[in-house]
Amino acid sequence: MPPQRNTFADRAFRFLLRFFPSEFRGDYGREMEQVFQAQRRESQRNKGGLLRLWGETITGIFTTAPREHLEMFRQDGGYALRMMRKNMGFTVLVISILALGIGANTAIFSVVNGALLRPLPYANGSRLVTLTQSAPKAGYDNLGFSAHEIEDYRQSRTLDQVVEYHTMAFNLIGEGEPQRVVTRVVSANFFEVLGVKPLLGRTFVAADDAPGAPPVLVFSYEYWKEHYGNDTKIIGKQFHMNGKVHTLIGVMPQIPQYPTPADVYMPVSTCPFRSNPETIKDRTARMVAAFGRLRAGATLAQAQQEISGMQLRMQKAFEDDYPNDMDFNIRGSMLQSDLTKQARPTFLILLTTAGLVLLLVCANVANLSLSRQLRREREMSIRAAVGASRSRLLRQMVTESTILSLAGGALGVLLAWNGLDLLISFAARFTPRAHEITLDGRVLVFSLGISLLTGIVFGSIPAMFSTANPYGGLKEGARSDASGKVRQRLRGSLVVAQVAVSFALLAGAGLLLRSFYKLTQVNPGFRPENVISMLVDLDFDRYKNNADVARFHKALLEKVNANPFVLSSAIGLTFPLNQGMMGPITGKFEIQGRKRAPGEPMPVFDFRAVTPGYFKTLNIPLIRGRYLTESDSDPKQAPLLINESMARHYWGKEDPIGAHITVDGGKTWNPIVGIVGDVRQYGLDRSAAEEIYCTQAANPTSMASLLVRTSEDPKKLIRQLTELVYSVDPNQPVSRVKTLEQLMDQSLAPPRLTSTLLGGFALLALIITAAGIMGVMAISVSQRTKEIGIRMALGASQGSVLRLVLRQGLTLIVVGLAFGVGLALSGMKLMQGLLFGIEPSDPLTLVGVTVLLVTVAALSCYGPARRATSVDPLTALRSE
Amino acid sequence: MTVMEKRSVEPLLPMTPAMFHVLLALADGDKHGYAIMKEVTRLTDGAVSLSAGTLYGILRRLESEGLVVEKDERPAPELDDERRRYYHLTEFGRRVARAEAERLEDMVELARSKKLMVKVKPI
Repeated sequence: MPPQRNTFADRAFRFLLRFFPSEFRGDYGREMEQVFQAQRRESQRNKGGLLRLWGETITGIFTTAPREHLEMFRQDGGYALRMMRKNMGFTVLVISILALGIGANTAIFSVVNGALLRPLPYANGSRLVTLTQSAPKAGYDNLGFSAHEIEDYRQSRTLDQVVEYHTMAFNLIGEGEPQRVVTRVVSANFFEVLGVKPLLGRTFVAADDAPGAPPVLVFSYEYWKEHYGNDTKIIGKQFHMNGKVHTLIGVMPQIPQYPTPADVYMPVSTCPFRSNPETIKDRTARMVAAFGRLRAGATLAQAQQEISGMQLRMQKAFEDDYPNDMDFNIRGSMLQSDLTKQARPTFLILLTTAGLVLLLVCANVANLSLSRQLRREREMSIRAAVGASRSRLLRQMVTESTILSLAGGALGVLLAWNGLDLLISFAARFTPRAHEITLDGRVLVFSLGISLLTGIVFGSIPAMFSTANPYGGLKEGARSDASGKVRQRLRGSLVVAQVAVSFALLAGAGLLLRSFYKLTQVNPGFRPENVISMLVDLDFDRYKNNADVARFHKALLEKVNANPFVLSSAIGLTFPLNQGMMGPITGKFEIQGRKRAPGEPMPVFDFRAVTPGYFKTLNIPLIRGRYLTESDSDPKQAPLLINESMARHYWGKEDPIGAHITVDGGKTWNPIVGIVGDVRQYGLDRSAAEEIYCTQAANPTSMASLLVRTSEDPKKLIRQLTELVYSVDPNQPVSRVKTLEQLMDQSLAPPRLTSTLLGGFALLALIITAAGIMGVMAISVSQRTKEIGIRMALGASQGSVLRLVLRQGLTLIVVGLAFGVGLALSGMKLMQGLLFGIEPSDPLTLVGVTVLLVTVAALSCYGPARRATSVDPLTALRSE
Repeated sequence: MTVMEKRSVEPLLPMTPAMFHVLLALADGDKHGYAIMKEVTRLTDGAVSLSAGTLYGILRRLESEGLVVEKDERPAPELDDERRRYYHLTEFGRRVARAEAERLEDMVELARSKKLMVKVKPI
């Protein structure tokens, strides 16, 4: 036969053959080339024959090749399954470790996906912009907007819609007991901008917003379902609210409510406060929040520039309404990032943590496979000897690892699915979007992706270092020294990586735990034990003036105090850790006889109107002077209490007692009669505000809470206390019944949950690492049996052998620690925002974590090291 | 080898037409790949033409199922190309081919009984 020339067609055909599995190519490739050459020669005789041949050949290859690959996978898979069944212990261990790693990642990713990645469930969610007006120099982060301001911003060209809303609590009287309902008062375009279509009836139209329009209401889906049990004939029904008859015109569909859940929606024309002509006229009556929708094509930066300019023009036109010293500001921010601002750092840290755990899992499983590979050396060599190519063996191993990781992944998804409710309640502490968390398609694709990746990574590391030597492995006791060393070094590196990652995770968890501990040690400034609170928000159309309100409060306290289990009780406008709808109630004051420097803002205080029993009920200590009494009731010269922070800030070493201050621009001057302890009003991690207390008698508030300290578990008294309220006014609803301990618990929940989760991850990491170290050391000892035997035969003591092995293990650990410290320090910035009272580089935590890790690691080395000392020199030498 | 002899042909039926044609091509003697290809084209008057990819996919399957084996006997070197492999239909392969042919015959009978075809009378 004449030698064949290597033509372009030959090369092209050989390239196409590469689509077949290598085994197939090895078996048939050369003959296929020969056949194709013959076919070419023949087809050249007919016109167009060559073209047809190529067409048929390419089609044939692309239909056959995938089938051959699948067949190969079936064979490898079948073999892998048999091997897995044979090594049940290894299989179960690896699948469980993988399930933990992949499950943790699936769970955390589902949170990140639901809360951070998914688009808002509203039409044009990505174009919604929250507007915030602030006056930082006067201490207002969020001032709200007045009706005039909303009208002005509606002229914007970059925002095609501006929506206003605010939230009130009103009494809704229909059938049965009066209900205190959370009412969202919204402009008519609210539903349209969010793209919410009603489930029943209609939502608001522009005419509903017009002054004097007939009062109408829309129910939220949840309120309708809970109180009217899916009654579809409810539209048109009438309800009494604020002394007026309201008609129900619609029910919302089941969608996440922005910004928080509400029971009832009403248009601005129906709200007695917002529709008051005085409110509408007053540019400083800032009581509503606003968001807008970017015009198509407009950017946030353009909108920001425009609204800032609009505000500047307002400031110039209405100087009195925008005092210069308050430094007015307006800011637009994307609604989507606003809703998750708080959650983002926590969730991203958890995702990073979960990712590190998965890396650790990979390293650990790779190490386990390396060890098992040692035992399979003979099997692999036999397979290599009977003709399995290196790539075939590699694929065999990767197939096995992929099947294992897919099984682990499936189990992991199941674990994540099981923990979904727990996760949602966890995430709900951080973001209102928590209920959007599900295991959706994206999460499942993510899990599949990381499972495949994990399988390929942990399968190919050992496979790449497989000797698969058809001769060496078959000889009894033979072990290629060079490859053994490579593998030992590889196992060492994997241990170093595990120690490094574990250290970083332990450091993170340690910091959070220490920070949480510090938080629990904070003195809140009051004693929450056995105190219960309930909101008794008086209906303004029945309690029209201060005297009515004061009378109700007096009657209620008398009845409550008569209860034998009540130690003391009080009424307060607000109270510590109260997560009410109202933000801080603040005002500005001046101190008699002091002049402010030009440009210096007026001092700001946090306002508390309380009955005298407040301090006893909450156990707030008196520092100097006296407490408030019942007789401190004259509004014109009502005595005031201030807290320590305020005294320190404005009086320093001077004595504030006897000083007079004004909160109404100098109309009345009130004496300071005492100083009380600081209270952490807004959370244990927030420092105390500067507080002024006056009596409810001097400043009655229709919205107020009843606070009661009891001698028994206060929860047992809820019914009795509620009935006492009804006995004073049967139409007065009671809401937000919570013990102060519950509130304290709630405020500690986010850091507790985060540190528990991270702590769990870190513990998992520690266990995995300890197991990894133990495994590697055990193998190392068994491989060095001969060497140890010789040493002992030459007179080495048991102690020196023990030290030899321990030194080897500890070297790995120390190197791992060095990397770990680097890793931890570089990740510290992430933690900054989550810590309270300690620095991310807290030396005590780092030292503590180091000691813990070294101890655990040393213990893991100790077992194998002990075994090394029990090597019998004679047996060891004979075994080789 | 009693186990081998008892091996059932059922799991391999029905066969794809292409696979059956390859068995038919080998029924009257060992052939190399290109010869099989030509024989299939000849037997079917060009109605079935196998590409290299398809043919060797089939051969791989037939080999792994034991229907076909590679033969060591080769023609004289001057008539041979060393890249060629020669395929031989095994006894089991023959049984499978026969079973497939019978299966097809039964189908044809069935079609006749339904008057879909006219029976050809012997001359």
